[in-house]
Amino acid sequence: MKSYDFLFWGYLVVWTGLMAYFVVLGRKTASVARRLDALEAKAKRDGAAGTT
Amino acid sequence: MRRRDDVLRAVLLAATALLMPVALYLIFVNAPEEKVMGAVQKIFYFHVPIAAVTFLSVFVLLAGATGYLWTRRAGWDHLSIASAEVGLVFCTLVLITGPIWAKPAWGVWWTWEAKLTTTLILWLLLAGILLSRAYASSPEQGARVASVLGVVAALDVPIIYKAVDWWRGQHPIVFGPGKTNPLAPGMMSALMVSMLVFFLLYALLVAARMRLAALEDRLAALEDAAWRSR
Repeated sequence: MKSYDFLFWGYLVVWTGLMAYFVVLGRKTASVARRLDALEAKAKRDGAAGTT
Repeated sequence: MRRRDDVLRAVLLAATALLMPVALYLIFVNAPEEKVMGAVQKIFYFHVPIAAVTFLSVFVLLAGATGYLWTRRAGWDHLSIASAEVGLVFCTLVLITGPIWAKPAWGVWWTWEAKLTTTLILWLLLAGILLSRAYASSPEQGARVASVLGVVAALDVPIIYKAVDWWRGQHPIVFGPGKTNPLAPGMMSALMVSMLVFFLLYALLVAARMRLAALEDRLAALEDAAWRSR
């Protein structure tokens, strides 16, 4: 009952879980933003080519 | 608008990062050890705030779901997606930290006690909400099914809260109507700061997930438009 090792693993699970979710969210957002930027740039290029 | 959202997320991140070490100090150094359970009781400072945030996330999910069913506006649906997903993460942590305490206190990792069982049902409902979105034939249908499940999940929260009273479960009740506060001042401040850290973290994660949902919607619309113009 006095062991802090036991607690250490518990807290590690909590913070690892939360930080892992935060990192996954950040990476997913960056990936979607990149795809969006590429599509918007392509749409702009296509629009410019259509008007010339 | 985007700039304001970025500032909000940065403020939330800074506040969480600043307060987190304070909470850890108050929990591990300042708060006295409980006489009977000793060090194991300190899981309480994480388990209770995480459970409170899970309940909050379900009520925010309910607001998003009813808002979407009423108005069909995407913003409400983004709030509902974000709160369901973040709520599932927190509910998972409730179901992990609970058994870490239960094993030394009760001698078992899990028991089919009313509060634990109804919390597991909440976890299944939140997982069902995400699955219904992932496997729906259209985003609109997914949003509708998820919104209805969100309302059902919200009905489970008061049942979890009252489960120990209604079914005489063994889960401890520290706070409640008619109960005097059993916590020493050092324990109370650790709990309050820990609660604040988890609420800030919840707000940060919901804001980040809402941004992702909005970007995904814009991407889907652009891809759809590009596909139609071919």
